[in-house]
Amino acid sequence: MTTADSISVFRIWIRRLHVMTVKEFLQLFRDLVLLVFIIYAFTADIYLAGSGVSLQVKEAPVYFMDNDKSQASREFLGRFLPPYFRVKGEVISPIEGTALLDKGDAMIVVDIPSSFQKSIFSGEPARIQVQIDTTNSGLGFLASSYAQQIAGKYGLEMAMERIGLVDSGHINAPMIIDDHRVWFNPNQDDRWFMSLSELLTIVTLFSVLLPGAAMVREKERGTVEQLLVSPLSSFQIMFPKVLSMTTVILIGSAISILFIIKGVFHVPLKGSLVLFFSITTLYVFTTAGLGLFISTIAKNLAQVGMMTVLIFVPMLFLSGAWTPPEAMPAWMRTVMYISPLHYYIDTGFGILLKGAGVRILWREILGMAALGSVIFGLGMWRFRKQFG
Amino acid sequence: MNLKRIKAVAGKEWLEIVRDKVFFSLAFVVPVVMMILLGYGLSLDVENIPFTIVDHDKTPLSRDYAYRFIGSRYFSFLGYSKDDRSVDDLLASNTARAAIIIPPDFEKNLISGRPASVQTLIDGTFPFRAQTTKGYVIAINSAASMDFMADYISKKKGISKERAEKLLRPVSLETRYLYNQSLKSVWSIAPKLIMLILMVSPPFLTALGVVREKETGSIYNIYVSTVSRAEFLIGKLFPYMAISAVNSLILFLFATELFGAPFKGSLLLFFASTIIYVICTTGIGLLASVFVQTQTSAMIVTSIITLVPAVLYSGILIPVSSLEKSAQIVAHLLPAMYYTNIVIACFMKGVGIEHFWKDILILSLYAFSLLFLGYLFFRKRTKA
Repeated sequence: MTTADSISVFRIWIRRLHVMTVKEFLQLFRDLVLLVFIIYAFTADIYLAGSGVSLQVKEAPVYFMDNDKSQASREFLGRFLPPYFRVKGEVISPIEGTALLDKGDAMIVVDIPSSFQKSIFSGEPARIQVQIDTTNSGLGFLASSYAQQIAGKYGLEMAMERIGLVDSGHINAPMIIDDHRVWFNPNQDDRWFMSLSELLTIVTLFSVLLPGAAMVREKERGTVEQLLVSPLSSFQIMFPKVLSMTTVILIGSAISILFIIKGVFHVPLKGSLVLFFSITTLYVFTTAGLGLFISTIAKNLAQVGMMTVLIFVPMLFLSGAWTPPEAMPAWMRTVMYISPLHYYIDTGFGILLKGAGVRILWREILGMAALGSVIFGLGMWRFRKQFG
Repeated sequence: MNLKRIKAVAGKEWLEIVRDKVFFSLAFVVPVVMMILLGYGLSLDVENIPFTIVDHDKTPLSRDYAYRFIGSRYFSFLGYSKDDRSVDDLLASNTARAAIIIPPDFEKNLISGRPASVQTLIDGTFPFRAQTTKGYVIAINSAASMDFMADYISKKKGISKERAEKLLRPVSLETRYLYNQSLKSVWSIAPKLIMLILMVSPPFLTALGVVREKETGSIYNIYVSTVSRAEFLIGKLFPYMAISAVNSLILFLFATELFGAPFKGSLLLFFASTIIYVICTTGIGLLASVFVQTQTSAMIVTSIITLVPAVLYSGILIPVSSLEKSAQIVAHLLPAMYYTNIVIACFMKGVGIEHFWKDILILSLYAFSLLFLGYLFFRKRTKA
């Protein structure tokens, strides 16, 4: 083969790829409902998730039962302040308190014993009872930890003053001064976490579903037969599907990052956007491989739908997009190493919030690339075996 | 309305489902797998927080102090780091979520009765985890302070350490955790997973079933048949509701038997509400399917309108009362929240119907309106 020949072979190869890609785009854009939903997902949906949802104890409703009615008890109760707590009112009997907790109107009921002030001054420990609604264990824990902090601080202040360990504001005691700093999101603004987390979710959903569905649709409608008798290689059939969807997903994420995440929520994008989008591309390819793999197993779209749920939902929930992954049992954390989303979350948050670069994230990037080639390779192999 | 025709449509749908063995088994496998994986994995417990320590003091006392963190079950120790710079890298690469920096002269200060300031760096990317970690750090630090100070005072005043501790802790807080005494995350998550899974799986089944007829063109058989709109829809939806009803029973058994979630309410009421909820979510699937033409968009639309709201606005992870105003409005507009209330009432609180009859009423209204809207918009005959 001469050079000219190989150039023309290459040209034809590219042309075929091009034609197929155009076809995929056309097919996508003609499904108007789908298009509207893609736009909705990358804008309004991310806005909604970021703006209203927060996993923190915020102004938890507090009711109290003050049996002492002393200065000390009032001062103690006065410490249940926003942002964590808001005192809603007083209850007269324990039954009333329980009823409020049952209805969900109270999260905490504080019960101060009648001898509160007396025992504090006499040096006998005063016992305060606190009832906390822990139907949500995580928030219940936070609320109880804040209440403990209030009681601990109050008690210590009283004690130190009485024992004489404080000398005009100067502490003369061997205590640990807790100086904690929260990095990367100093005010613990949930909107930063939620909007980014939602973006990663949406990207995952589309990249698993769209290419796989596009493939099975050809199978279900029989158009795959036409493609198979055409001079297209299996790569030329599969790759354009991934290419077109990747383009759509990248444009979608660019819009949501610029207009929603940066524009509305003012998330400081610390790292390199070029790196972020390169990794997103890598991620979409990897996940699309998963979708294509599903499509080679499934016979119809209904099966694709169910299998996607089967893979997508655990992947989504267990990768750390919604809950801290450290809390999972060890075996499950190990399983998560085969989830591309696990790597994408680490790199995504790493680049955008922490400003990390390749030097720090190379392990995750390598892991995702390795996973991607294996999954994509498997998909191609199954496709060839099925139709080759 | 003709019962025979409804039966015929339902029978046809049932055959179609059962003959697709893969789909039929997935209809049952998917909920169970979700239940098991999410039950074990979807936990808000913050444990095993990977952390590192930089010890600038390197004295017996600083090592003792460090051990308070190393020995805690909430933290998982990665090893000492040599300087602050390597801490930066560990935090940026997600290897460590927290770092404790013990200052020089830590021991010297404490022994001579002066305070020592310990710096803790916490990864704030996930605010909830950061808050909880902060809570642990404060608790460990104040326990350490208490120890150091009790020692100091007992020596200074010549009293016993117990007495000194009593003096330092004039107020003690006795906490009672209601509804979930052991703060077990899975007890609160497992029952709510029934809500989540029944929000995702029935609409998916339904939407795929209805749109499949449209996309493959087999709906033309219906167009020309004598079956009326209502008969067709009832017959069509019935098998999917039946599958989901069976699934809800299976999920209930998983929640109570595998995860040991306590059930304190009335079984009859719970299952009656569950059926209403399943009708609701099936209705969502129906409504989604009348607006889309292809199964691909049916899948996308149902997953976006069910999955994301079912997590964010249902109260499964975040109680509706602690959402922002806008999100609270969204939550009240969606059925998931009402069913979550029922689940909590029946599983954890064991309160009577007087506490949640409103939720049942709203769910019923929801179910009715969704089906009615689906009926209104569903065109037996496509526009020419």
